[in-house]
Amino acid sequence: MSNVNATTFTIVVILFVLVTFAGFSAARWRRAEDMLHLNEWGLGGRGFSTFISWFMLGGDTFTAYTFIAVPALVFASGAIGMYAVSYAAMAYPIAFIFLPRLWSVCRMHNYATQADFIRGRFGSRGLALAMAFTGILALMPYIALQLVGIKSVITVMGINSTSTNTFVKDLPLLVAFLVLAIFTYVSGLRAPALISFVKDGLVYLFVLVAIFYIPTRLGGWGAIFGHAQTHMAAINPKTGKPNGAFLPTTKPIGSTQVDFMTLALGSAVALFVYPHTVTATLTAKRRDVIKRNLSLQPLYAILLGLIALMGYMALADKTTVANVKSHGANAQLAVPFLVQHMFPSWFAGIAFGAIIIGALVPAAIMSIAAANLFTRNIFKEFFKPDATPRQETRVAQWASLVVKLGALYFAAELPTTFAINLQLLGGVWILQIAPMLIFGLYTKWFHRWALLLGWLSGMVYGTIAAYRSASPTASHWASSSDIELGHTVYIGIAAVIVNLVIVLVLTVILNAVKVSNGTDETLPHQYTADPETDPVPVPASAALAD
Amino acid sequence: MTQPTAKPRGPIAAHPVRAAVIAILLAALIACTLFVAIYDSATPKIGDFPFFYFYLLVYFPVMTIVMWIVLQLQKGMRTHGDTGEGAS
Repeated sequence: MSNVNATTFTIVVILFVLVTFAGFSAARWRRAEDMLHLNEWGLGGRGFSTFISWFMLGGDTFTAYTFIAVPALVFASGAIGMYAVSYAAMAYPIAFIFLPRLWSVCRMHNYATQADFIRGRFGSRGLALAMAFTGILALMPYIALQLVGIKSVITVMGINSTSTNTFVKDLPLLVAFLVLAIFTYVSGLRAPALISFVKDGLVYLFVLVAIFYIPTRLGGWGAIFGHAQTHMAAINPKTGKPNGAFLPTTKPIGSTQVDFMTLALGSAVALFVYPHTVTATLTAKRRDVIKRNLSLQPLYAILLGLIALMGYMALADKTTVANVKSHGANAQLAVPFLVQHMFPSWFAGIAFGAIIIGALVPAAIMSIAAANLFTRNIFKEFFKPDATPRQETRVAQWASLVVKLGALYFAAELPTTFAINLQLLGGVWILQIAPMLIFGLYTKWFHRWALLLGWLSGMVYGTIAAYRSASPTASHWASSSDIELGHTVYIGIAAVIVNLVIVLVLTVILNAVKVSNGTDETLPHQYTADPETDPVPVPASAALAD
Repeated sequence: MTQPTAKPRGPIAAHPVRAAVIAILLAALIACTLFVAIYDSATPKIGDFPFFYFYLLVYFPVMTIVMWIVLQLQKGMRTHGDTGEGAS
């Protein structure tokens, strides 16, 4: 604790205390009559306006992934890291096409998770279980990425002691983790919703100041890009290959166009089938709210592109490069070190606070989404069908804690040379539920058994391919891209292609021999309906059951 | 939860041109960022920004305008309080 800057440390602590206070008092915000109902704890009462939903959706876009992992990849490898910007651009039109349909059908049937929808659409508990399991599994490495992000800020601040005792060493991270766990348990989705106001204010402030101020210190954007171009083309003496690529290349192997495209497309489709995004969507009060937000959010997402370029800013700053090198060449530290070197200590405190809170908010939403899936589609479905809303909420609260422990495991076990791989690994898994979810929103043609077997094949293929990928520093789980048919591609896309082929072939066969495809409880008009603006006549019995 | 009267015509059938325009706009938005070959070039430089980086940044404001147009087109398609899904 010798080189801790007192001003920076004090400001981070003040912000953290402020957020903790907000997290606990969120339980009383927009208070419902009965907080012990899953619609309240897990979906914030399903009544968020455009204004709050904006922050909920933004909370899913701006995470430690954006602040730490993406610039780290740009810092280390160059243009390939910009796939994250292309992905953000693609994600909004894709979501605009199908999320409103998902919102409508979930609202009409009071579904709390996407697996509830699959169960209703295909009348299949097995398919819903597959979706719930995948959702929970895929969220764990994504939450782990948030923890890695917090840890890299803590490292740069110098408050993780040099003690060899793991517990003492990671004490600050454990404190942050515990506070997150407790306020999520108490306040449910209201906590991240309320905190995201603070978070977004800090993020705007930090990013706008950074992108206008830092280039003036480094000789302007021309110098930053010039330096990056030279550095990426230079030959790394260790590997005998260039350091990276300033533009995606047309060659088949390496930082290529195909890798760039598959990473961007895979991540874009994955973003809006991730349970936490669906959860954030379902909190919206009206269908219009989602459409309006999705069409305006890109204005906000431009910040993501500028944050990615902070990787190049770090590269142009000699002190930052030297600091990263002296800390085991951990690229995740590039942005925190850049912030520390460029800004006065009080503003560094604000920036670090923004990154830490920016990791806590999505981690809370993600663990709640996973808890909702467990409660509705595993606990209630298979263990206690007659569970009361109160019991459901209790189970969800505990499940949110267990999911976070799973995330800790991922953070500890997987190589974090490139934290971005944690998110991409989650993507490999979550993409396997995209066929059933997206197709299911439009047609009942696809067969439930075909979707289930396609999912299984994609999961097995993707997991094995990701497990086998090795690098000089790690023997397993080293990369999310693999060489397929002579091209570097994102494993998630390769696996979903395997998945789709099996779904198509088996659907044709199963439909031809007329195997039952389950009872569909949804009706076509329910995919475009909005009971808030255009009430549909509901039989009295159904209204009571709601 | 059933609606007693079935709608005679869906919004897409009622406004085929509008629906097609919406579908094309959304598909173009996805394609123009997916196919990286379109913008994978250091030149022309815009200010200090190589074209590849400039394109990715300027994409967001352009997209917001296009999405706003799509939203307005969909509003015009509404029948029975129904919002049309152009690309569905």
